[in-house]
Amino acid sequence: MSFDDFKEGLGALLEPSAVRPTDFGKRGYSLQVTAKRDQVEPIARVAREADLFLEAMTAVDFADAFQVIYLYNAFGAGSRVRVRVAVKKGESLPTVSTVYDAALWHEREVFDLFGIPFDNHPDLRRLLLPEDADFHPLRKDFGKVHGVRSTDEIYGEPTA
Amino acid sequence: MASQLPEPIVEQTYYLNMGPQHPSTHGVLRLFLKLDGEYIIEADPIVGYGHRGHEKMAESHLYEQFLPNTSRMDYLSGLLFNHGYVAAVEKMTGIEVPPRAEYIRIVCAELNRISSHLLWFGTYIMDLGGFTPFLYAFDDREIILDILDRITGSRLTYSYCRFGGVAKDVDDEFIRATREFIGRLRSRWEDYHNLVTKNVIFIHRTKGVGVINRETAIRFGCTGPVLRGAGVAYDIRRAEPYSVYPELEFEIPTGAAGDAFDRYMVRFQEMEQSLRIIEQALERLPEGPIRGRAPRKVRPPKGDFYFAVESARGAVGFYIVSDGTGYPYRLKVRSPSLSNLQVLTETLSGTLVADTISILGSVDIVVPEIDR
Amino acid sequence: MADKKVAPGPIVHVAVLEDILNLFRANSLWPMTFGLACCAIEMMAAGASRFDLDRFGAGVFRGSPRQSDVMIVAGTISRKMAPTIVTLWEQMPAPKWCVAMGNCAISGGPFEYDGQYAIVPGADLIVPVDVYVPGCPPRPEGLIQGLLLLQDKITKGEKRNVLRRFQRGARSAA
Repeated sequence: MSFDDFKEGLGALLEPSAVRPTDFGKRGYSLQVTAKRDQVEPIARVAREADLFLEAMTAVDFADAFQVIYLYNAFGAGSRVRVRVAVKKGESLPTVSTVYDAALWHEREVFDLFGIPFDNHPDLRRLLLPEDADFHPLRKDFGKVHGVRSTDEIYGEPTA
Repeated sequence: MASQLPEPIVEQTYYLNMGPQHPSTHGVLRLFLKLDGEYIIEADPIVGYGHRGHEKMAESHLYEQFLPNTSRMDYLSGLLFNHGYVAAVEKMTGIEVPPRAEYIRIVCAELNRISSHLLWFGTYIMDLGGFTPFLYAFDDREIILDILDRITGSRLTYSYCRFGGVAKDVDDEFIRATREFIGRLRSRWEDYHNLVTKNVIFIHRTKGVGVINRETAIRFGCTGPVLRGAGVAYDIRRAEPYSVYPELEFEIPTGAAGDAFDRYMVRFQEMEQSLRIIEQALERLPEGPIRGRAPRKVRPPKGDFYFAVESARGAVGFYIVSDGTGYPYRLKVRSPSLSNLQVLTETLSGTLVADTISILGSVDIVVPEIDR
Repeated sequence: MADKKVAPGPIVHVAVLEDILNLFRANSLWPMTFGLACCAIEMMAAGASRFDLDRFGAGVFRGSPRQSDVMIVAGTISRKMAPTIVTLWEQMPAPKWCVAMGNCAISGGPFEYDGQYAIVPGADLIVPVDVYVPGCPPRPEGLIQGLLLLQDKITKGEKRNVLRRFQRGARSAA
């Protein structure tokens, strides 16, 4: 199965503690990966070679940093992977659009709504908001929100 | 001696703005086309004209309050979005759903899928220049809307699914009307095929047009009929079975070439499969309660969750980050149309302007779902 | 005599002709094909086989604003779309009318909440609106009733419409 190739590739790339299996029935993904900033693109390459597709990409704003989430999926049962990368406020992230064309728009959306820039993105414009907008609406300091949390509060404890 | 020849024709690329108000862009999509004569060099779909800020809205609304929003994202298959959101929250919180409610959800969701495909069929052929099939399709679609209207109280923007069940029980009249509709729609296939599928003009406008092959579909993350048209039998209902789909028999229709005609045929066969699902579900519809035990105010535990269902346009997923309160910390909707539309940046280049309509229609997008 | 105030108006009054013209206008409304969101589907349904808007002379949906005389604002007006709607309205030849279809076009509907950033809450903040059709979305019967109301309004020669932008105390559009 291609998904096993992907797991093998990840094992060669990351340290074992960064890759954790999860209960698919409970979480909706069967593998969670905590990546570092420079591992984002290699992971995408491994995924691409293993015939996975980039299902979605988003970010979550926490008090300490942004968490950018990549969801990869294979055409099989219960083979979704959640990759999580921490990005400090004001920092950028390398693009994966060199590997997946789908990332071109997903990264534009994340840039639009969160203001996270992506290095080497060929066309980093706003996607949804008007071009002259000067705010990033999904940040927690914009509009009405119910509390700002830190990353550890939600992703901290080991999840089964 | 001065040349008698005329001045050479200056060749230049020019730009064409299609939309945001254009009869065939299905809502408010703007296509920025770079043209060389009649051929498209580059296409840049500009979205966001229907951006309503659903995801920000979720952060200041309770889980229950956000439910009506889901059907307004993809208003053509609102019940499927409803189902996806409700099932996601149920999975997170561990709410049990009684079997009768699950079956009712499936029947309504599949009816909704058919109505979405019928509307697509009507408008697609209307975009290609045939007005009559539009009237035929809407005729059938109105019957579905009548059936759903009786149960859900709404024609388009349903809020029928509830945490732990559905809002209202179905009655014998619903079952009778649905069975009658199945027979009626089956008898209409022949009309549709005679009217459209065998039409030479239609075949010429769709066969070999807008080819999206497997490799492209994977690179862009396409799902739904676009991916299945390329020959990949991937359907969330089978790959990640939810609700009662594992108990029901149905096939996943696929195409081969991945052109507009294949996507058309895939949707047609999907409607037939949906009818099969409805038939089986009605047969097995168990007696019992329609609402399980759900807390008054849903408070999912901390953590992040993802749940996907198959909507009429592809895999729709809800990624919810919960901080343990009644408000979602972050709610991301993975919209199938976003990825399916993005493919056009590649597929449209090199095609004729006139084929834009055929390709765009065959991908079947709902703009507010992309923009959210 | 000279100091008597004369109401401003056309120099030549052809009231009967104007009435007849209004009758014609009312019975051949040409709406613009222009959907923004969910309501557009109900607008299409109103024009399709069961409801058949053509019975009231309003079934000729035109793709171009230059050929139409009713703009049905069917759906949520996003900030990004609002300037385009104004342009479309200005492209339409007078006499022209506007129907705000659905709660979003009336007041922002469910998307108007504390802290929203994405939409213009109400079509009447950017274009003058003649008829409001409430609902989320309104049923096709509702739209038909709205158009019938508009026909009544035209045949009576009424010129009243609402542009909230100029009203005192109205919320700002942007």
